[in-house]
Amino acid sequence: MLLYPGATAAEAPARQHTSRPIVTGTSVLGIKYKDGVMLAADTLASYGSLAMFKDVTRIARTGSYTLVGASGELSDYHALLDKLKGLAQANANCDDGFEHGPAEIYSYLRAVLYQRRNKFDPLWNSLVVGGFKDGAPFLGSVDLRGTAYEDDVIATGYGSHLALPIMRAKWTPDLDEGEARALLEDCLRVLFYRDCRALDTVVLSKATATGTLVSDPYKLETDWTSASFVAPKAGGDGDGGW
Amino acid sequence: MASTGAGYDLSPTTFSPDGRIFQVEYATKAVENSGTVVGIRCADGVVLGVEKVMLSKMLLPSSNRRVAAVAPHAGVAQAGSTADGRQVVARARDECDSYDDTYGIEIPPSVLAQRLAEYVHYFTIHGALRPFGASTMIAAYDARKKTHELYVLEPTGVCLRYFGAALGKGRQSAKSEIEKLDLTKLTCREALKEIAKMIHTTHDDAKDKPFILEFAWLCEETEWKYGLVPQDLIDEADAWAKKELESDDEDDDGDEEMAS
Amino acid sequence: MFRSQYDTDVTVWSPQGRLLQVEYAMEAVKQGSACLGLVGKDGVVLAALKRQPNELSGHQKKLLKIDDHLVIAVAGLNADARTLAKVMRTECLNHRYVYGAPLQGARLVQDIADKYQRCTQTYVRRPYGVGLLVACCDATGPHLYETCPSGNFSEFVAVAIGARAQSAKTYLEKHHKTFKDTPVEELCTHALQALACVEINRCAAISTPRPSFWLKLGHDLRDPRDRIQRAAPHSHPERPRIEGRLKFYFPTGIGRLRRWRQGTRRGGRVPSRRDCRWAVALD
Repeated sequence: MLLYPGATAAEAPARQHTSRPIVTGTSVLGIKYKDGVMLAADTLASYGSLAMFKDVTRIARTGSYTLVGASGELSDYHALLDKLKGLAQANANCDDGFEHGPAEIYSYLRAVLYQRRNKFDPLWNSLVVGGFKDGAPFLGSVDLRGTAYEDDVIATGYGSHLALPIMRAKWTPDLDEGEARALLEDCLRVLFYRDCRALDTVVLSKATATGTLVSDPYKLETDWTSASFVAPKAGGDGDGGW
Repeated sequence: MASTGAGYDLSPTTFSPDGRIFQVEYATKAVENSGTVVGIRCADGVVLGVEKVMLSKMLLPSSNRRVAAVAPHAGVAQAGSTADGRQVVARARDECDSYDDTYGIEIPPSVLAQRLAEYVHYFTIHGALRPFGASTMIAAYDARKKTHELYVLEPTGVCLRYFGAALGKGRQSAKSEIEKLDLTKLTCREALKEIAKMIHTTHDDAKDKPFILEFAWLCEETEWKYGLVPQDLIDEADAWAKKELESDDEDDDGDEEMAS
Repeated sequence: MFRSQYDTDVTVWSPQGRLLQVEYAMEAVKQGSACLGLVGKDGVVLAALKRQPNELSGHQKKLLKIDDHLVIAVAGLNADARTLAKVMRTECLNHRYVYGAPLQGARLVQDIADKYQRCTQTYVRRPYGVGLLVACCDATGPHLYETCPSGNFSEFVAVAIGARAQSAKTYLEKHHKTFKDTPVEELCTHALQALACVEINRCAAISTPRPSFWLKLGHDLRDPRDRIQRAAPHSHPERPRIEGRLKFYFPTGIGRLRRWRQGTRRGGRVPSRRDCRWAVALD
């Protein structure tokens, strides 16, 4: 491939890095609540607009304290999980009573993603890191440019448009586990209704003082009796959208 | 100048006229002077036991470990120089990681043993290097063959699979004790006690420095994960071994009285 | 003089299975002035005797800060110590960049010990001729490690290295059981007394058991002010006192210094006035 028309052979083969994701996952949601942190995501892996795999868990445990969820390119996510597995094993090998906490893993991922972005070969993910260590909950997000921030509620992908406003409106720091779960499931439901790359099969996970847990995939109850679903055009001539 | 090798013993790249490589043999000496290390492949797992010499009262018991984990399913115990040993451990960890990265499964014990052997052997063929002053016992589980295996890797680069092995100062007597055991029936928990006894037997309280026992295992009980043996089990084995030795002494005294 | 043919190269084993070059490098540590460390309830204390190579020069640097949570004391070849300190500082900074948190002391020490070891196994380099005491307060509490040229390292409750360290060790061994309940302020007293033992052995001595570093385990590990302070005994508000058999003298004239020097047969060096800011002598 030539850099530009008429380029010489020496200038010729321009090197191409990842310029778009191939197999992707959509939003990941995370909130802090009374006992710790809860993360949620659906289990769909899309190949463009094709719903390719419907049972892919996009939230994983790493070490004893941390959960990492990802939207974006799933192969990049798996490569990152491999790195984290190595990190956890290195901790276990040392056997000195120390293990990286969620804040350190978040910082590590930030460093890795930022380094790759500087090589113009990014790992195409938006990550959500949640965890609980030494009595403190942690929730942070890292994207493919290495941009990183912490917050009480976090959503990636379409979730940042569709779910985040709901989460911000309803979130309080003293949500109990049931309330936190209900809030996340409400958001996942809205995403399933509105995001064409979302699924009603989801995974929920939590990090608390007793450790981390990732649920098996389960199906959300949905309700399609809403007026805009029953009569999408609502008498108008539009295509059913707003 | 008297010397055993008459100039043929100054480099690992020099053969002596009778075909020996003295430098490698000398490195083995460093292992033979170390605290005793015993490894037994039992019916239900592998146990590694170490006599860890404590050179100072102010040393922390967790310091100077001679056992190390290299992967969830594999670990080592070492005799000889701990500094040299750590290099082998680091290499073992790299091998485990890279095998997992490449093939997506845990490295089989035989492959790990062979790759480490190649590494250690390399240090015996170069003039700019010296052989390791450490021997390594490898305990690992093969998840596909459902076997647990024990290997001993020597400074020469020789690596063999064993049912029971001993390294260091007390290796001779420990070996003969291992030979008396029925290794097809012996359980790991029993082996802990037997190894504690072997180490106590070979240790001369009057002459040798004080020591503590260090144990690691990989067995059914740990779901085939390698790890340190819980301290209460070590204490139990230690107490049992001391009691056994005392009663043995009493028996000996009794025999003498009868003889006289 | 006895000379072995096995003692000139690092990569040659002696028939007894020893590495003589490495053992000689360990001797270099014993030539360095003494330093010691103690681990207490809430921190670690490092203290060292600062020699002055000649009267016109400043004192040696014995304590080097590596990171907010980690300090080393060195005995042996100071130049070797500096290269190691540079590596350690880089490692600590890199770790802070990647993980946003301080590096665990044990892991740094192991990396450094591996670095020591590699020098003992290749022909091209000589072993490092320096021993380090590494004091740190990390996520698993206060720790004290010793490294040596052979590549071995150990963790201690208290330890001393360098010239005539044995007498300091004897002192520490006598008291070490109490250290784990002792706050660092009191540990400073122990540190100074142990250091004084080193010099007393030389009978009537002069030393500068001056600024000791102590690391204190703070509530917030990320606040450097909480974690490390220079505790100069003569300026610190809770300055530790040396009690018992020891007394402090503040010599005023050179004549007095000379008389002291005559007592120190093996020293052979005229102590300067700066040297005597904290002079310690027998009761």
